[in-house]
Amino acid sequence: MDAPAASVLDDRLYQRLVELAAPDGAERGPGRPDLRSGVEQALHHEARLLDERLYRAWLDRFTQDCVYWIPLDPAGDPRTQVSYLLDDRRRMEDRIGLLETGWAHAQEPPSRTCRIVSNVEAWPLGDGDTLARCSTVVWEYRKDRLIPFASHNDYVLATLGENWSVRFKIVRLVDSRSDVRKFSFVL
Amino acid sequence: MDALDTLIQPHRVHRSLYTDDKIFVAEMERIFGGAWVYLAHESQLPNPNDFIASRMGLRRLILTRDDDGGLHALFNRCAHRASTVCQSECGSARRFQCSYHGWTYSNRGELVNVPFAEGYPPDFDKADHGLAQVPRLGTYRGLIFGTLNLDAPSLADWLGPAGPLIGEFVDRSPSGRIEVRNCQRMIFRGNWKLAWDNAGDGLHPTFAHRSFLVLNERQHGGARSLSQFKASPDDTGMYGLDLGNGHMFVDQRPGLNQSFWETQRPVPGREWYADRIVQRFGDEAPDVLEMAPGSMVNLSIFPNLLIKGNTLETVDPVAVAETRLHTWVAAAAGAPDEVNVLRMRIAEDFPSLGNPDDLEIFERCQEGLAIPEVEWVDMSKGLGHPAEEVAADGVRRAPVTHEGPMRGYLRAWLELMSADAKLTTARAGETSFEKAA
Ligand code: FES
Ligand SMILES: [Fe+2]
Repeated sequence: MDAPAASVLDDRLYQRLVELAAPDGAERGPGRPDLRSGVEQALHHEARLLDERLYRAWLDRFTQDCVYWIPLDPAGDPRTQVSYLLDDRRRMEDRIGLLETGWAHAQEPPSRTCRIVSNVEAWPLGDGDTLARCSTVVWEYRKDRLIPFASHNDYVLATLGENWSVRFKIVRLVDSRSDVRKFSFVL
Repeated sequence: MDALDTLIQPHRVHRSLYTDDKIFVAEMERIFGGAWVYLAHESQLPNPNDFIASRMGLRRLILTRDDDGGLHALFNRCAHRASTVCQSECGSARRFQCSYHGWTYSNRGELVNVPFAEGYPPDFDKADHGLAQVPRLGTYRGLIFGTLNLDAPSLADWLGPAGPLIGEFVDRSPSGRIEVRNCQRMIFRGNWKLAWDNAGDGLHPTFAHRSFLVLNERQHGGARSLSQFKASPDDTGMYGLDLGNGHMFVDQRPGLNQSFWETQRPVPGREWYADRIVQRFGDEAPDVLEMAPGSMVNLSIFPNLLIKGNTLETVDPVAVAETRLHTWVAAAAGAPDEVNVLRMRIAEDFPSLGNPDDLEIFERCQEGLAIPEVEWVDMSKGLGHPAEEVAADGVRRAPVTHEGPMRGYLRAWLELMSADAKLTTARAGETSFEKAA
């Protein structure tokens, strides 16, 4: 396997993330109806890729400078606070690679998931990117238990349409301050 | 509850320690009341009038700092009709007012106001109705402990040789202080002692963390995090210590043949932050970088604190088969910011990639323990083995895959469970405080 690409995470990228994740955002007014169907196309496709555990195809939809972040405290600055995870592309690959080893006990048997993506809103960001927000419930079934993971998700999409791609994905679990059940599938 | 000493034998432990509700109830009183229990770190309540929620077993506490800087561990239980008086995890408050009938307490625990006081018996004295509190508190290098047992040894004696090891952990910061940041909270469906067994277990990484080992080999090659457990861990010189009083230590450092930083798996931002450190510190950069990864030792302070990596993890029982693990991340006070940014990403690395496999296996153990007829859990590895050494201070040292540390904490468990220690609470002004180090 090729050596994994170096991390591009630097202070500037952190800063952008912090501004994006400011607690529940500045009030941006209603989303733009003309962006909604393009965003939904991407988010629904992403949900299907993840429910079907097509993780490599999912990863291919992320930009080289992407960040996938599950914060613990919604307002926290990840430079001074620990998150549940804050991955660049390299660590996303590690996360998927871990599942592919066949030895990830926490995914033996694997989780079956059903994710509901709703309340989609979208706004243009000045630089050609699109900000999308949605409410998501991922139902995880594993070992006779069905457990919901409810979150508000933020996305920055670099491209819409057929070749949709994600620059940032932030999963803000509503119970991130509470005791979280371990999860080793991708939220 | 069978006689407890029949349940713990030199080489094995009875399943009821993990499954019996009556034993659990007794543990919550005797162990989580009779031992010195870790409550929080001083940096979590740095200013006068700060407070933070804590627990001793199932007892909810408000740990407060009064306006003179003194610490108090108040039970979160109104002296009137028992409602909790504080609903926040942390904050700043001089007073706690109960929402039920308005009794109001100072952050020292004194009852300062009873509304509609007319009608109480003439001998009703507010001084008798403050918040009950933990009678003995102490600190060791900023870690705060409490016990309800007036006959417990001093905090310094309780920690014994574990104390200086806490010192080593803290002294990885240039200022000799850590600053505890936020925490990851996880819950698993298993008995709290499954986490405790695991904390001193150098036998499991090769198998339980196989996904992590294989991933690192495939993706990053060479000697990366945990690779010292790839094969024959006992040939590396890694060792475990039974420190007495239930405290355990696992030292992985002899298994490394390069620096901590070189061994550390690449985390997000590694390159940019390492470059900055090289630019700022030149020849000293390797020493600065060495502060970012975890300590490469596991220090477990019985009964509820696991110090590992750069984290303080509290083992917080909820029920006989349910346990919370709160992993508080320590920043190195006085270190360059770059070091602490890296510490945050490193503290997400093994916990999110490796720990789910530990928790899965704890739950599998709890499932296995449900079978009443199969009664025993084996912990015999290393028993009577010539490589087990006992030092003058009573510390027992053994190769890392031996189960000596587990047998050690179970001795402490048995002692606390069998002792009929009198547990007490105190009123405001009646508590004692020991600064052990
Ligand atoms: S229970 Fe607190 S004032 Fe009555
Ligand atoms: Fe482990």
